[in-house]
Amino acid sequence: MLYSTVAEEVPAVGDVQDVSSLGGAGNEQARLLEQTKIAESKFRGLLESAPDATVIVNHAGRIELVNRQTELLFGYSRDELIGAPIEVLLPDRFRGFHAGHRTRYQSEPRTRPMGVGLELYGLRKDCSEFPVEISLSPMQAEGGMLVTSAIRDISERKRFEQRLQEKNEELENAIRAKDRFLASMSHELRTPLNAIIGFTGTLLMQLPGPLTREQDHQLHTIQTSARHLLSLINDLLDLARIESGKVELNLESVEAQDVLTELASTLCPLAEDKGLEFVVLTPAHPISVMTDRRALSQILLNLAGNAIKFTNTGGVTVRVSRRRRNGHVSTAFDVVDTGVGIHPEDQQKLFQAFSQIRTTPDREQEGTGLGLHLSERLAHLIGGAIACRSGPGKGSTFTLTLQT
Amino acid sequence: MSTRILVVEDNPANLELMTYLLHSFGYVALTAQDGLAGLELARTDAPDLIVCDVQLPGLDGFGVARELKLDPTLRTVPLVAVTAYAMVGDRDRMLAAGFDGYISKPIAPDRFVPELESFLPRSGDAHLGSHPFLRSRGLQRRVQ
Repeated sequence: MLYSTVAEEVPAVGDVQDVSSLGGAGNEQARLLEQTKIAESKFRGLLESAPDATVIVNHAGRIELVNRQTELLFGYSRDELIGAPIEVLLPDRFRGFHAGHRTRYQSEPRTRPMGVGLELYGLRKDCSEFPVEISLSPMQAEGGMLVTSAIRDISERKRFEQRLQEKNEELENAIRAKDRFLASMSHELRTPLNAIIGFTGTLLMQLPGPLTREQDHQLHTIQTSARHLLSLINDLLDLARIESGKVELNLESVEAQDVLTELASTLCPLAEDKGLEFVVLTPAHPISVMTDRRALSQILLNLAGNAIKFTNTGGVTVRVSRRRRNGHVSTAFDVVDTGVGIHPEDQQKLFQAFSQIRTTPDREQEGTGLGLHLSERLAHLIGGAIACRSGPGKGSTFTLTLQT
Repeated sequence: MSTRILVVEDNPANLELMTYLLHSFGYVALTAQDGLAGLELARTDAPDLIVCDVQLPGLDGFGVARELKLDPTLRTVPLVAVTAYAMVGDRDRMLAAGFDGYISKPIAPDRFVPELESFLPRSGDAHLGSHPFLRSRGLQRRVQ
């Protein structure tokens, strides 16, 4: 209910009722009027300070009241809007539907957002449009139901959404481009390596003819370097795949014994070449873990391969055991070597990429410097961790612990 | 008659490597440097096995596989992809495209021909035995 009396404190709002219609000037009535005025003024203050444009429309669809925000948003003055059909604030194409919706709302009045799932637009006096969000609430008044619409300009939000969407698309394109780049880089690097490794192989197989000892030695050096380059490429691609979240894990029940047997068959020849013992200790009872077999094998191959690489006398032992701590069961794979060991200060750098530690000055760098870094990343992926215990001259123990 | 193997490969060095290995192991190698030429040769010369690169100019390895597997007489000829596409999922992609086998580059020269042989039907002594070093010595004698 709106009274002209409040219009003196705030700008005029149009369609008002005569105060005199309230009746005589008794004390009681004066008090009531005073109370009403206070309530009105509070309501008016609230309306004017609201961040949204507020438009109150009567049962005939004509505007009864607007706040200051409405003027700012639509570019009309109050005088122009009061009494006008609400449809003046709508783009032409919505006007037809709107009258129908208005009638339906009156038969089922409740507070709700308008046009859920639709893109709504407001129309300014200068005929420009802007996206809006509108919430409706009914208000019973003398002379029929009024409907309050709170109208919010969402241009800014739309712009953010748009920008966010564009950024997302850019990001997706960048990721796709990176994947394409990785795939073609892998392909392009392998193609010449095929000829290098291939023809080195045919020479070493002595297919074209016998070799002198020097030729044989130099060809082996080419072969080793080419294989080194290949493992660098493989490690880098693996790392790139992990970084981009491309590694697909296939969790299954894996028998630890099977993995260790496979490991032994791959690495025993390498250990034997260096005159080392390679021992795999499996427990009496089978141990199975829920994990990704490929990742587990790759980590163990890496740890045990390193152990062989950095051990010159003695041997490498790989064992698996179940551990229990505070009711948690974990599976630990230990790779124990009798090798050169690692200084405590070097141990912190172990898992960084390309941080290979030089054990002796004249030692040829055999690894890619990515192995442990890659292993640690893989271990995290399968919910595990790698720890190292070592001391110079005391050998090293690397432990992969899986929470399973 | 010697077993004849068609090699479709556009990179000259890699083509030379594969034909050299095949010759060394006593096979006859037919060669093509693009997909269409490979198809043509497959149709005219009826090889016993086809080795095909995947990234090829014009018709690529996938196209070659599709055409060969649609051809009623050629579909039974074993088709092996030898490709530098060696990332996770590439093998499955090749096998799904119709290749019967997949060998990634770089190839292991001492295992390459034995791997191909596993795709050949067992046909007695159509070619030399399967011991590369025996054969290589035989070849050396011939070379010398």
